[in-house]
Amino acid sequence: MAERYDAVIIGGGHNGLVSAAYLARAGMKTLVLEQRHVLGGAAVTEELFPGFRFSVFSYVVSLLRPEIIRELQLPRHGLDILPLDGTFTPLRTGEGPKAGGGDYLWRVNDHGRTIRELRRWWPADAEAYEEYGQLMVEMARFIKPILGITPPDLTSLDPRPLLPLGGLLRSFQQLPERQQAVFVQLMTMSAADFLDQWFETDPLKATMSASGIIGTYLGVRSPGTAYVLLHHYMGEIDGAFRAWGIPKGGTGGISNAIGSAARSLGAEIRTEAPVERILVNAGRATGVALAGSGEEIRADVVLSSVDARRTFLGLLEPGTLDGEFEEEIRRFKFRGSSGKVNLAVDRLPLFTSLPGAGEHLRGAISFSPSIDEMEQAYDDAKYGHFSKKPYIDMIIPTLVDPTMAPPGKHVVSCFVQYAPYHLAPELGTWDDQREAFGDAVVNRISEFAPRFADSILFRNVQTPLDIERTTGLTEGNIFQGELTLEQLFFNRPAPGHARFRTPVRDLWLCGSSTHPGGGIMGANGRIAALEVLRSRRRRAA
Amino acid sequence: MADLDVIVVGGGHNALVTAAYLAKAGRRTLVLERRDHVGGAAETAELDGVRVPRLADTVGRIRPSVVKDLDLRSHGLRLAAPDVRVFAPQPDGRAITLWSEQARTVAGLRDWSGHDADSYPDFDRLVRSLGRFLAELAAETPPDIKAPGIGDALTGLKLGRTFRGLGKHDSHTILRVLPMAVADFVAEAFETDALRAAIAWRGVRSSFLGPWSAGSTAILLADGAGNDGGAAGQTVFAIGGPGALSEALASAARKAGAEIRCGADVAAITSLDNRVTGVALASGEELTAPVVVSGLDPKRTLVGLADPVTIGPSMRWRAANYRTPGVVAKVNLVVDRLPRFTAAAGDDDQLLRGRILAAPGIDAIERAFDTAKYGRASDTPVLEATIPSLVDPSLVDGAPEGTHVVSVSAQYAPYTLRGGTWDDGGRADAFGDQVVAVLDGLAPGFASSVRAREVITPLDLERDYGLSGGHPLHGEQALDQFFLWRPFLGSGRYRLPIDGLYLCASGAHPGGGITGQPGQNAAREILADTKRRR
Repeated sequence: MAERYDAVIIGGGHNGLVSAAYLARAGMKTLVLEQRHVLGGAAVTEELFPGFRFSVFSYVVSLLRPEIIRELQLPRHGLDILPLDGTFTPLRTGEGPKAGGGDYLWRVNDHGRTIRELRRWWPADAEAYEEYGQLMVEMARFIKPILGITPPDLTSLDPRPLLPLGGLLRSFQQLPERQQAVFVQLMTMSAADFLDQWFETDPLKATMSASGIIGTYLGVRSPGTAYVLLHHYMGEIDGAFRAWGIPKGGTGGISNAIGSAARSLGAEIRTEAPVERILVNAGRATGVALAGSGEEIRADVVLSSVDARRTFLGLLEPGTLDGEFEEEIRRFKFRGSSGKVNLAVDRLPLFTSLPGAGEHLRGAISFSPSIDEMEQAYDDAKYGHFSKKPYIDMIIPTLVDPTMAPPGKHVVSCFVQYAPYHLAPELGTWDDQREAFGDAVVNRISEFAPRFADSILFRNVQTPLDIERTTGLTEGNIFQGELTLEQLFFNRPAPGHARFRTPVRDLWLCGSSTHPGGGIMGANGRIAALEVLRSRRRRAA
Repeated sequence: MADLDVIVVGGGHNALVTAAYLAKAGRRTLVLERRDHVGGAAETAELDGVRVPRLADTVGRIRPSVVKDLDLRSHGLRLAAPDVRVFAPQPDGRAITLWSEQARTVAGLRDWSGHDADSYPDFDRLVRSLGRFLAELAAETPPDIKAPGIGDALTGLKLGRTFRGLGKHDSHTILRVLPMAVADFVAEAFETDALRAAIAWRGVRSSFLGPWSAGSTAILLADGAGNDGGAAGQTVFAIGGPGALSEALASAARKAGAEIRCGADVAAITSLDNRVTGVALASGEELTAPVVVSGLDPKRTLVGLADPVTIGPSMRWRAANYRTPGVVAKVNLVVDRLPRFTAAAGDDDQLLRGRILAAPGIDAIERAFDTAKYGRASDTPVLEATIPSLVDPSLVDGAPEGTHVVSVSAQYAPYTLRGGTWDDGGRADAFGDQVVAVLDGLAPGFASSVRAREVITPLDLERDYGLSGGHPLHGEQALDQFFLWRPFLGSGRYRLPIDGLYLCASGAHPGGGITGQPGQNAAREILADTKRRR
């Protein structure tokens, strides 16, 4: 008879590992099963080219919950987040206020310097930027608690889960009216419309609005994209914890730290252990069966950190769920929209607008010259094409963490939007378009840094299809389901099923398909684990 | 002693509704209309010897309670509803036709897709069920969240009960679908693109949105709220054109004791110590009243007419940022014969009595929207046309046999154009040509039947009708200007930031279109406030 666990967790991504750590900490005998040979899911570091180590998919940490860092003592387990300073938006010849040549917009963490830079563009914007920044910090302070609660079911007759909502309402009531109004706008407006209220400078608006569309199948003019503007400021209020930056050793560094914390608390972790099926007996989950070996592992509770579609439609025996719920899950939208291009280069890129290997390369480099170009990139995707002139968020991790490449050489990480999972029929499949997509990205960079292509030693293109194949993320959606308004909070992943429980007793969700969504936050994994523990206590009592 | 109890600024349909209710309750009420006749966008005007619905053409969203309370039938309102609701001819010569009678629609859809024909009744039921909930929401004043009173609690309970009344499935559904893109919403039920477009269109009509924009489902559902719309949407004409509705409202208001002055251009809303005192006319005349109700849009009211010192810079900034990106042009045509649509071979007459839709596919609508985002009018605009003279021949009385009126709403024609304005030589005409060309493509020979034409651009809507940004709904009806925060948070209960100043038209909850609902709700709130003071 095989060993029996209190909890088995499907998937060793960051959320799965966080859940495991919290369950183990509470004394549960916990096992994590990861299909790949590396831990981390989409937060992995791999040596794709000899001597060069890449954060293959996810590449920055912005929102890792400070309470998780604290409670799991992650720094002791090797977590070290290196700050990224600023955002550099290069422009082309003839663009911007600078007389003659091309210009750039460069915002840094030094507030005074950023204000001076903005004043150079448009004095009123510099003033608005201060006011805007203060307002956003206040907003982030108000929103933060929402990330930590379990969404209520509004249609339920049980009033208890509604209590935290009452608390939220009260704190909303206490906000000044102006801030209430801004909160409503943030939840409902497009990033572009929201920013239009404050700013004139096009590259500023384009660069700021970019955070609203990352990982979504929406454009900067689509309603519902303003909310994500806040995320940047959440990092700011957590600033003391250094929650914003890149992890030393790549994003795999985070996964390894969480994994090590979980192990030290007693959790067991098995890699190359792909789960084929969740075992269900009389309506309760009783364990999992592994692919290949067919080995069955029994557990009191099963937590799935893989996405909702894979969990319910891929891992459960057909007929386990009722038709209506299955229909809801089928409706849950993924539609991955981003790709990743990882490059090894033999020298730093040289931008025409600010040549040299200066400080401006040490932060994020944003290819977002105008709102129109951002929106046109989305228009391409709407009709099933990858963007001809994509938005790129470029990071050169070797400038802050030289261990990632041989001396003098660099790793360049390019997050690219848009790359729709579903291509127009005339384009065929992503297997046909992978290199054309890679070329489009290099060409886009070359508009601003003309000799960039010559520096490339190695190129690795991750299309949404590749992301799906490697990490298992359905349709390559990096958030395990679109972060659109109708898929947030009490609708995530389905109305009435947003409380981490599933229709199958003892089967729980703990990944990004649940509230509060994706990104390396860990909040999902933590809240799910706490819910599991609460329910066990209730049952024991 | 003030000259009056209430001054209503503007004589559009909502303003008339408010005035009628207030006068009925005994308030000395005066309506001031800048133009020489009342009605605003609900107007019948003359074009080349016949009468045309100059802007709005159907009136089927008017709330039955307004018609009943004000006894509009005794004031001459007569309505006519054809059997057909929507006829959507496709470029390939086929058509989607939606009828009042569900079974007839389903039978027709079977030619397109058995799946869609089977799905239609359920979808229609869902739209009606959610619409009923939204209608109840629309008839309520949004709750006061700052200082909730007993009334707000009761409203909350009532809405809570209605919400639960939807049942588990529909209440889950409404929470999920309201913020959704209408393209996704229709795709959940239907596979035929032409059908999806014919229904989704109502989610973007008059809005600066495409079918892939979030929140457009809410607009579709609200369009069917409080009327017999359902999945097909309403198509109801007023005999004599929409102006007849305005006249009936004016007559009801007068009978109740309200005074209506046309040609009275309000130049300012006067106030003292953050309390409204009356209005000043462009002529220099001043009128006093403790209550001023604006039937204009919120931007024009607060930025154009209110005292900037009283409202203060912050509120003025918010009012100025209220979004009013107009995107519809109206093209009225007088034709000497009925259009012959390729897709309507045979019984033209029957099919053409409802709304005729040129919206061949979700992507076609979206692409037309794309051009507007970059400040260009679409070359292949989405059109919604009616031929009211088929239902109401009185419009073309005295015109030669065969004369008809074709009323076309053409979208997307953005108010803000890159590199110029709608006044620049030939722009409006060129757009009119595109509109005729689209119709000619679906009904060959149409272009040669046009005897007279007028093109009313968003700029005209602003200048002639005082609609900021040329927005026919007094501002975008997107999720950010909705319910408690229409026009914006803190002013979502018909009370504007100056004491005694109210908003009673489409810029207030539940928004635009000829419903009379904001007017009715505002009157209720004003009466409650003034009763308390008396």
